[in-house]
Amino acid sequence: MGKHLFLIWKNLRRNARRSILTVISTSISVFLIGSLLSVYGMLYGSEVREESALRLVTRHKVSLTQALPYHYRSKIAAIDGVENLLPMNWFGGVYIDQKPEHMFPRFAVDQEELFDIYREYEVPAEQLEAFQRDRQGMAIGKSIADRLGLRLGQRITIKGDIYPFDPEFTIRAIFEGPDDFNSFFHFKYLEEGLGPEAGSHVGVFTIRLRSVEDASSVARAVDEMFRNAPEPTKTETEAAFALAFVSQIGNVKLFLLSIGTAIVFTMLMVSANTMAMSVRERTREIGVLKTLGFPSGSVLGLVLGEAAVISLLGGVLGVVLTLGVTTAMAGVMVQFFTGFTLPSWGVVACFAVALGVGLGSSAVPAAVAARTRIVDALRHTG
Amino acid sequence: MNSGIAISMRNLCKEYTREEFKVVALDDITLDIAEGEFFCLMGPSGSGKSTLLHLVAGIDRPTSGSLGVLGADIADMTDRELARWRSENIGYVFQTFNLIPVLTAWENVELPLQLTHLKRPDRLERARTALEIVGLGDRLDHLPKQLSGGQEQRVAIARALVTDPAIILADEPTGELDAASANEVLSILTTLNRDHGKTIIMVTHDPRAARFARTSRYLDKGRMMEMQTPSVMD
Repeated sequence: MGKHLFLIWKNLRRNARRSILTVISTSISVFLIGSLLSVYGMLYGSEVREESALRLVTRHKVSLTQALPYHYRSKIAAIDGVENLLPMNWFGGVYIDQKPEHMFPRFAVDQEELFDIYREYEVPAEQLEAFQRDRQGMAIGKSIADRLGLRLGQRITIKGDIYPFDPEFTIRAIFEGPDDFNSFFHFKYLEEGLGPEAGSHVGVFTIRLRSVEDASSVARAVDEMFRNAPEPTKTETEAAFALAFVSQIGNVKLFLLSIGTAIVFTMLMVSANTMAMSVRERTREIGVLKTLGFPSGSVLGLVLGEAAVISLLGGVLGVVLTLGVTTAMAGVMVQFFTGFTLPSWGVVACFAVALGVGLGSSAVPAAVAARTRIVDALRHTG
Repeated sequence: MNSGIAISMRNLCKEYTREEFKVVALDDITLDIAEGEFFCLMGPSGSGKSTLLHLVAGIDRPTSGSLGVLGADIADMTDRELARWRSENIGYVFQTFNLIPVLTAWENVELPLQLTHLKRPDRLERARTALEIVGLGDRLDHLPKQLSGGQEQRVAIARALVTDPAIILADEPTGELDAASANEVLSILTTLNRDHGKTIIMVTHDPRAARFARTSRYLDKGRMMEMQTPSVMD
């Protein structure tokens, strides 16, 4: 087969424009598949860390957009197995402008409990104390500080969008740790800005368990406690909560699978049409090759080889494009999730899809070419 | 098979169906062609000349009868065996040259050698020699579209002889050429026969081309007729 690589390459250059367009079309399809796999990997592929496994999130049973009464806090805290409890309100707002590079998540929390709940965050003691003491203090993750060039003592203003309140903060603490792309401020400051009514409800409670084994019993106990209350709860692991957040837009897995299938099918059709056309217009040459003594297997290999080269070139281009775009987009996605990149299994999957589609689409034209009788091929015109 | 016989046909028939009609392309052909012969097969279009050449080359199979080529009963070979046998024993020259348009003259001639175990430098050297034999040593890197019809056909002859086959089959090799180019091509075939001992079977309907052959036979409606034409070699 190695000897025929030269012929494969020459054939690909025969109609360079068509070959290039096919490579580009394959690469765009691979890029779309790669992007879907990156989203899938980000949502379902990340490992649950030990610290995260110790946390549950309690939210309103109906929807994340519904708040829970603040007074649930003391009742949940009393449940056996609960070590710490953190009321959290997502604030939203706009920092500078709506550009993706300026976006980062902001939560109003109980500043005293925050770092007992998120123990993987490392923060210097004096910064922690400054943050807890200053009502307008803000603690930000190091990745945000680095990205936006924020430093300790700097004052920033967030323009409220959901809430009619433009809080002003002083950065008092910069913490480091996995997923350090969040920022936190005092729940009391939010209450001050919006009035006492705002302090009566919270978005979610984040629970820290005494041990991982308590997860199901605590979740069950919390939800059972408020089953008949006007605001029933739903308690789940932190990882499940993150997925529930995403699934607000629908069945994400089905969505990804549907789009992925459509892309692969389209890719298959385009590629099959190209290969069929390419083989058909060379029917006579195939007859000549066979007359020279090329066995049917070699003819089959030549056609499949051309498809494989086009597919792999498209695959490489598509994977490079995916890695480039996901790297560029990671900064935006970090608001919600980390790990938005094409995982290694995704790279393999992209190449497998590209190669599979290439070989699959050329299988029929290749088999037809291999089976064509020499006399019929030599008689072929057009 | 008798010694010295390159091709032996006995009661050879070829029938095929075209648009529901049965066509008898070759009808009970019995013929021997000696080794080292320059044999010309003449006849009008549709007489079965090319079909006979296809059978000898093993690119089509007879309906009945026996066909021995260089001592092998090629009718009994599998397609794979036939392909290998053909690459080793047969050189084929087409009327329309049938060079691969994306390959240079050198690469076109090297193509059949890709089926051998020769290393690329050896293959290229042999291809160069073949092109020099047909007088195209200075056109190695020319693409077919950069060559005249006569030159293209000479490249095709070089491709046919590069594997050093015992038999060269030429199907209307001058059909697309002007008189001067045709003479060049026929002279090369004559040289290959006379100086290199190749058995040449040429199909043509051009009596001037037939004069280059030692023996000629006439085929009409699939049946072999007796015929003798004066040869330029006499």
